[in-house]
Order: sequence, then structure tokens, then C-alpha cells
Amino acid sequence: MKTYILTRILLAIPMILIILTIIFFVLRILPGNPVMALLGPKAPPEVVKAMEHQMGLDKPIIVQYGDYLGSILKGDFGVSAYTGVTVIQELMQKFPATLELTIFAMTIAVFIGIFFGTYGAYHFGRTLDIAARVYSIFVYSFPVFWFGIMLQLIFGVWLHWLPVSGRSSPFMIPNHIYTGLYVIDSILNLEWPVLVDTLYHLILPSVTLGVVISSIFVRMVRSNVILSLSSQYVVAARARGAKEKKVIFKHALKNAMAPILTIMGLEFALLLGGAVLTEVTFSWPGIGSYLVTRITYRDFPAIQGAIVFFAMFVAIVSILVDIANAWLDPRVRY
Amino acid sequence: MMALLEIKNLSIDYLTRNGTVKAVDDISFSVEARDSIGLVGESGCGKSTTGTAILGLLPPNARVSGSILFKGRDLLKISNEELRKVRGKDISMIFQDPMTSLDPIMRIRDHFFELLRAHYPKMDENEMKKISSEALKSVGIEPSRLNNYPFEFSGGMRQRTMIALAIALQPSMLIADEPTTSLDVVIQEQILEVLRDLKKTKNMSMVLITHDLGVVAELVNKVVVMYAGHLAESGDVYSIYEKPLHPYTKALLESIPNVKLEDRELRYIPGSLPDLKNPPKGCRYWPRCPYVKDICKRETPPTVEVDGRKVKCWLYGGEINAGIDKTSSAVS
Repeated sequence: MKTYILTRILLAIPMILIILTIIFFVLRILPGNPVMALLGPKAPPEVVKAMEHQMGLDKPIIVQYGDYLGSILKGDFGVSAYTGVTVIQELMQKFPATLELTIFAMTIAVFIGIFFGTYGAYHFGRTLDIAARVYSIFVYSFPVFWFGIMLQLIFGVWLHWLPVSGRSSPFMIPNHIYTGLYVIDSILNLEWPVLVDTLYHLILPSVTLGVVISSIFVRMVRSNVILSLSSQYVVAARARGAKEKKVIFKHALKNAMAPILTIMGLEFALLLGGAVLTEVTFSWPGIGSYLVTRITYRDFPAIQGAIVFFAMFVAIVSILVDIANAWLDPRVRY
Repeated sequence: MMALLEIKNLSIDYLTRNGTVKAVDDISFSVEARDSIGLVGESGCGKSTTGTAILGLLPPNARVSGSILFKGRDLLKISNEELRKVRGKDISMIFQDPMTSLDPIMRIRDHFFELLRAHYPKMDENEMKKISSEALKSVGIEPSRLNNYPFEFSGGMRQRTMIALAIALQPSMLIADEPTTSLDVVIQEQILEVLRDLKKTKNMSMVLITHDLGVVAELVNKVVVMYAGHLAESGDVYSIYEKPLHPYTKALLESIPNVKLEDRELRYIPGSLPDLKNPPKGCRYWPRCPYVKDICKRETPPTVEVDGRKVKCWLYGGEINAGIDKTSSAVS
């Protein structure tokens, strides 16, 4: 197990290196560069030259690439062309917002997925199953941003129930930041109004993202539970007099979980993509909004940094999924 | 005295997309306490369907009619919760494929605990451990193996574990659905040994579903021969083996390979099972029957008693004028 995890981590390194290389060169092939974005098209050539020199953009591309690799190894991910602060500092500041959003969205998606998927499978071919299938196809076709805007319109603009943007109201930030996750920090500080405010702000973005992702989960859980419900050990458990609830959750769902977990891990990249759109729609100050803003400024180190960060996140999650799988299924040996 | 299990006019249909499959059509038989009966027939004759129906474990597309009386209670009429309490405690069942009958991600111990908790929610853990250990010991597996997972067991051990689970609560009846079919010959013998042993030591009735007439001869005292959902013949095992009445039983017994026999060719029954969506009119066996008469193709033979046995064939007692079997027309 230990060696397996170590190998997985070592294998993640070339993957991240490849992503990093691709994004590095793609950014430099695409038109536009940070200097032009900062100074505008009418800037005098001497100023442009001086600034390019300052950012190191006048060096040969291979040297720039080497410099960038060095900054990754150093751990600072380079210096932002836009703010002059190291990218890692900015990412660490934005990351908790993204993490909080994805955790809540994932929770909602998993809950809907397991509930609808399992009951749909159990009522195979009957009303509840058809409802679950219609739901998942319907929701799957929602563009994330469109669904977000609709929720903003209904619950924010028309009903005035929920805030439509940001992580918190003014002056409603936890007094002392421990983790950066406002929900946890406000609980640690015992600041209940802040907690309520944070949760209020979390509802719409996490429902948006969670519902859209849940469509895949519902289908996945449903088909896997249908499969395990038809296995012999389910019939045998019933023949033993096991209660129906136990048969469904302990035998059918638990056995279906292994493939579900694997796919969930793979879907995590999709979740992050959805997170970018959701963050922009709800002005959520996470890595997604950060990435989009910095793309408009052609802030190369920041864009590279955000993408490498996402790649690492996906790699870590897939390792965690493998560990969870081994814990769930005693037959799995690494 | 009332029979332990009495099946009366049982019919089972499967509703499928392509029509209704008449898997079991109006069969009746009974099992006395401590009786062992064999449900025999070729694949698809409805024997497993019948066995599975007793515990109400048929898939949702099955439609069951008739009655299954267990200790006088109709298992088809009681509530799901009452039926659940019967399963594993009064009647238990073992299955054909031991490789898939145990939950792969659950320890052997938890299979036992699940059974015990389902019927005695308040039982404490020591008591549960004691019962599980004893059950496992009685089928020749070390109690220390309770902590293992099914994948650490061989096929024969898994089937013995299934048997241990089935007998842990001392049920009055065990339904064994082809318990040896998917095992190799040596392991088959082991399992049969365990079953034989159980029959001797526990006062348990057994319904053995099999296509292996050799297995039947060893373990049971009564045989029910089924063909295409009909009950062809039922009666005492020795008289059936000695003098089969129904042409199908005769053909079935003749097709047992015998190493001592002079003829070097395998005997078999020509033709194949009829399509149960569209069974032949009259007797279902007539397309393969060497003694076929005109009436066989027109009318379902009645079930008649010959020498204390029941047989459903026009060769016996059924005069042409005898009319259609009353029981079968009453159900359908």
C-alpha cells in the first residue's frame, strides 16, 4: 500500500510536468502577452522593451522555460506579471474559497446521486426510476452558467431569499482565519452570524454546481446498483431474512460503490471545470475567477500556476480515491 | 397430520417483453416433516422457479398463483415482513453458485451476524459468536475463519459456509437449489456428505432441486419429476427408479451415463424443451414422446394415482372420455 501510494505520487510528477510544458508553450504561441495587456496597444516601444526585459520575456523561450521550472521547484510558481506577488501566495489565498465550494457541491451531488440512483435502481422501470432518469438527462443538459443565472434570477432577484454573489457580506468575514474555509473558521471563532452569512452565500453556487454534477452520479449509481441488486448475494441475503433496507444499502450500494468511487475521481476534473464557470457566475473569489481574470491580463505565471495547481488537485484526489477503494473492498491489493 | 409444506395448484408466469412465459403450470406436492424430496428435471423445467417461489424470492416480473402452505400458513398471502421472518429461520435456502452467493466485501462473521440480527435483534455479540462458530464447525470449517472474507475461501468452503448459514438457526426446512452443480466431483461429494450428515443429525426436511438423478437417489426419499412446468410424476424414490411410469421419467433415467453399460453411445432424449411462451397444446411432452397418441396433442392429461404415485400421462387411467383435468382448468 505504502509503495503503491509512493509510486502514484511519483507518477503524478511527469503528468504535471507534461501539463505544465503544454500550457507554457501554448500561452506563448497564442497572440497577446502580458506587456501588451498591461500597457495597451499605444505604448511607446522603449517602454514595452524595458518591461519585457524586466519580466524576462526577451530571453530565449528555452531559458524562460528553465526559469519557470526553477520557480516551480522553488515552490513560488513565479511572480505574477499583474500584481508582482508570487503566484503561490495568491493561489493559497484563493484556494480555500474553491475548496469550500467544491466540498459543498460534491456533498450535494453525492447525496442526490446516491439517493436518486439507489431508489431509481430499486424501483427499476417504475415511476421513481423514470423520474430519476428524466432528472439526470434534463440536468445534464444544463449549461452550468445558465443554471446559475436562473437560480440567481429566481432566488436572488425575484424572491430576494439568497445573495447572488461573493463569499460573504461586508464585515462578515471570520475574525481569525485558521483554515481559510469560512464555515470552519466561523465555527472555531464561535461567530454564529458569520457562519449563517457564509452558508447563505454558499447555497446558490454549490447547488448550481452540485445539481449539474449530480446528473452523472445519478446515472452511475443507478446502473451500478441495478447490477449489484441482481447478484446472487443479494438474493442470498434476502433468503437469510435480511431486512430490505440492509439489502439495499449494505449489500447492493456498498458493492456498487467501488466503481462509482473510481468514476467520481475521474469526474473530479469536470467538477473543477464547472467550478470555474460557477465562480465566475457568482463572483466567487476562488481559483476559477482568478484564472479567468488573469487570462484577460495574459498573466502567464498566474495562468500556468492555476492550471498546475488544478492538475495537482486532480492527482491528489485520484490517489485518495484509490485509498478509499482499498478500504472499501478488501479484495483490492496494491 | 398436516404436511410441513404443501404446495397446491402452484402456477408461475414470468411477464417478459416478448410475452408471458408459463414457467410452472399447476403443480401440487407436499413435504412431510423430516421428508426429503428431490425436484428433478432438465434445465428450464421450472424446478428452481418452484423452489425460489417458496421463499418469495422470485424476480418482480413473476406472477404466482395457487398456494404454498407452510405449517398451515399460506406463504403467498402473508405480509412481506412475516415472510422475511420465515426466511433463514424456518426455511432457508442454498444456491447453485457458491462463488457469488456470499457478499464479496463482507466478512464471513458479518454474514452470520446479519442472519442472527435479522431474527434476534437483541442478541449479544458473544452469543452470536458462539452460534456462528458452532454452525461453521458443523460443516467442517475452523471457527477462526469467521474473520476471513469470502475471497479467501475455496468454492467448496463457500458452499459449506452457505450451508452453515442456512442451518445456524435450526430451520425445519432447507431448500437446496442445485447445491453441487457448479462444483467439481470431489467437492460435490464433500457437500453431499455434509447434507447427508445434516439429515441424520438435525430434524430437517429438505427440498433438493437438481438435474442429477444420482444425487437424488442418495439423499431423498421422494421425487417430483417436472417437465416444462408440468409435474410429470411424483412418488417414492425407489419405486420411481425401479419402474418409472411417465415416459419422460423413463427417458431421463435411461440417459444417466453408466460406465458398465455395453453401449458406447450416450443416450439422450431427442428434441428439446418446448417454448414456454407458447407451450404445445395438451401434454407438454408429446413432441418428444415415443408413446404419443392423438389425445396427448389435444388435451392436458389429468394427474392420476398409480401404485401410490402421481403421474400426469394419458397412458394411465386417463380414458379418452375422462375429460380435461379439473385442477388445471380451475387455475388458469
